[in-house]
Amino acid sequence: MASSIECLLSLVNQNKMEISKLSASQIVSHIAAGELTATDCTQHFLNEIERKDPTLNSYLHVAKESAIETAQQIDARRSAGESLGALAGLPVAVKDGICTKGIRTTAASKMLENFVPPFDATIVQKLTDADAIVIGKTNLDEFAMGSSTENSAFGATKNPWNTDCVPGGSSGGSAACVGADLAPVSIGSDTGGSIRQPAAFCGVTGLKPTYGRVSRFGLIAFASSLDQIGPFTRTAQDAALTMNVIGGHCERDSTSAREDLPDFSSKLDQSLSGVRIGICKEHFESGLPDDIRKSMDESISVLKSLGATTVEISLPHSKYGIAAYYVIASSEASGNLARYDGVRYTMRFEADNLNKMYGLTRTEGFGDEVRRRIMLGTYALSSGYYDAYYVKASKVRRLIKNDYTKAFESCDVILGPTAPSTAFKFGEHTTDPLTMYLADIFTVTANLAGLPGISIPCGFSDGMPIGLQLQGKSFDEATLLQIAHQFQQQTDWHSRRPQA
Amino acid sequence: MSNAIDRKTALHVGKLARLELTDAQADASAKHLASILSYVDQLAEVEVPEDIEPFFGATESVNAVRDDEVRPSMDRETILRNAPDSDGEFYRVPPVFG
Repeated sequence: MASSIECLLSLVNQNKMEISKLSASQIVSHIAAGELTATDCTQHFLNEIERKDPTLNSYLHVAKESAIETAQQIDARRSAGESLGALAGLPVAVKDGICTKGIRTTAASKMLENFVPPFDATIVQKLTDADAIVIGKTNLDEFAMGSSTENSAFGATKNPWNTDCVPGGSSGGSAACVGADLAPVSIGSDTGGSIRQPAAFCGVTGLKPTYGRVSRFGLIAFASSLDQIGPFTRTAQDAALTMNVIGGHCERDSTSAREDLPDFSSKLDQSLSGVRIGICKEHFESGLPDDIRKSMDESISVLKSLGATTVEISLPHSKYGIAAYYVIASSEASGNLARYDGVRYTMRFEADNLNKMYGLTRTEGFGDEVRRRIMLGTYALSSGYYDAYYVKASKVRRLIKNDYTKAFESCDVILGPTAPSTAFKFGEHTTDPLTMYLADIFTVTANLAGLPGISIPCGFSDGMPIGLQLQGKSFDEATLLQIAHQFQQQTDWHSRRPQA
Repeated sequence: MSNAIDRKTALHVGKLARLELTDAQADASAKHLASILSYVDQLAEVEVPEDIEPFFGATESVNAVRDDEVRPSMDRETILRNAPDSDGEFYRVPPVFG
């Protein structure tokens, strides 16, 4: 009797182990084939969250009941022979800066601690229409402002590879939960690197699509001309699968692109023969740690062995990227965050007149970094400074964009490190905000130019993952995914897992 | 650009941004603003050719507007559920001149 129970337990454990090892694409096909139920799959991730997340804090809210209920409905519909969506039964975690109807959405701010959106963001609607299951809402830097999740009003997320280190940010919870196998797919947003940098720090694949490719409707706005939603996954193949569902024009986002949505999976298996990879010399200038440089060289060798060629390119204005970015992003944020005034969004600090109520609510409701950026943006837009800061930064933005246009005359993608370091320790950059801003040095320029970028795991330094960034031409995510997928067929960095 | 940001400037910017800063918060803000502005001032060294127009948005396609059709929108009760204070029909705020 004892041995049969042990045998059963070992089978159950084996089953759990297997689900953790499955990619999103495999989960979807197992569920479609009836080899795995959506309920078991969802329950597995809920159990893992319960076991590991008290340490990691990657989730701000776990939608236990609604996730199980949805999973059961999907299983019932499958049993009844109904046709199901492209992501049927797949649990997906969503950054808490993206609105979910009936599920508290805080943007990791005290200002929105009790805010329950009356609508779904377009991407949430698209995911649920495809029968994916929203399993929970993930932690972030408050209003997506930060590179470490240390600015969350509800405690930082820890890096699954080393809990003394940050997971990156701002989508740190979304990166950490996929890195720790607490979700097969998650959704984040990237304003200056907020998908790619945490993907690099947590050893997962993270795609920032072209500006306008994915609807921003329902994304709590930080900097509207830079913000873009994208997926975190274990593999490029899973990123393609997710993009096929979340991409496309949206009539509720006037900046969403009308370009046809390709099948992002269609090019994955194409050879890299003839693909031209630009190596940006500015990315390899002094200061890049040896381990990261070595990983880049090895990755280039892998891609060359697959038929790609390399060409040196230059993005001469990229060194001004951070300066232009902080002026532009903060200026846009100062406008976007004006709506949090104590009237409409749950939080109010009572006062005896309206102006005092506005001021006290905003000072109490926003954290230090958010206030800093509102101050910077307000200053940069104020009379006497507008031309010198906002207009000048926007002209430099044009020069950065022109640099890319020129570079893409001689290459198809641009390769380099995602971040200038691996995940840093908590507190390392909190005393001087400027040093934190520099964590985004290789990623901000793609946002300024509106271009797509992907980060994939390509090595380790002292046990911490290193990210390889590929930046592409406008609306050419398919080539980024193709190169990433081919790279992942030759390497196993993306399948490495942190110790439990 | 001059980066002489003092408490007075920080309090003024705070007022423009509807932030009610204490003196200590204003001092901290002044210090941060001065630090970030001295970094951002490197933009001044970039020589921008005359014909370069500012790029304000990451897309240059014309904004798309949908047909102006009357459609149902969210009901008042749902929207007001997130209000800190309302009379059931409108948002309620403290007096403008208190």
